[in-house]
Amino acid sequence: MASKTEETLRKLSVEMRFLEQTAEAIQSRINMINAVITDLTYANMTLEGLEKEKENSELMVPIGGNSYIKARLANPNQVIVGMGAGISVEKTLQEAKDIIKNRLENLEKSKANLQQQLAQVAEKMNEDKEKFDRLMTELREGKKPKNV
Amino acid sequence: MSDELAKLPPEVQQRLLRLQQLQQTLQSVLAQKQQVEIELTEIEQALSELQKTADDTVIYKAIGSLLVKAEKEKVTADLNERKELLNTRAKVLGKQEERIRTQLKELQTKLQQDLSPVSPST
Repeated sequence: MASKTEETLRKLSVEMRFLEQTAEAIQSRINMINAVITDLTYANMTLEGLEKEKENSELMVPIGGNSYIKARLANPNQVIVGMGAGISVEKTLQEAKDIIKNRLENLEKSKANLQQQLAQVAEKMNEDKEKFDRLMTELREGKKPKNV
Repeated sequence: MSDELAKLPPEVQQRLLRLQQLQQTLQSVLAQKQQVEIELTEIEQALSELQKTADDTVIYKAIGSLLVKAEKEKVTADLNERKELLNTRAKVLGKQEERIRTQLKELQTKLQQDLSPVSPST
């Protein structure tokens, strides 16, 4: 009987390790999505700010290292939006805002989906941990295991 | 652990080493396949977006960190060519994956036989 418990413990341990890895992978994807959401939110804020600016307004363009160069806004209604695969398309400001809004919505949906998956994995991990601890105690005390 | 390994017959040690190598190769193939699939998805999205745009839309192509003006027709052709190339690469990687998985399965079966304890006579 003890060997059966040991076998169950071994299986549980393998499953828990697998679940842990799955949770890490899901968390890492959520982090990636969060980074993109922050980036897109920032772009959206910039577009909303630009909307209020007139042509030839003076701008400070960040060049990194907390440094800026002066530039003039040639056309506030022309925005170049990346489509992926190194391709960018010229859009009107409103179109660009719509694209970004759409991307943000899709990302929020994916994030919610991943968070749900993460919660399920965490629940299963807790169940396994409880089962594992119970069996370990039973094994240590030399008791006959109850239903597993 | 290495002491225990050293106690195993040389052919079993060889098989274990081969198993580790195959697992590493499989991981590398899977990573490459995933990369190709990500790139393919991106290309398909870009192509679908390009299809929706008017022919006179100004399009830019990234060359390093620079964006250079390009023609829609040329960009679409380039993307389709890249897509075809990546599809071929994905097929090759898929076949490699299949072959490695088969080899791994065979090796695992052999190792299970090698390492299974002699069942006690009851």
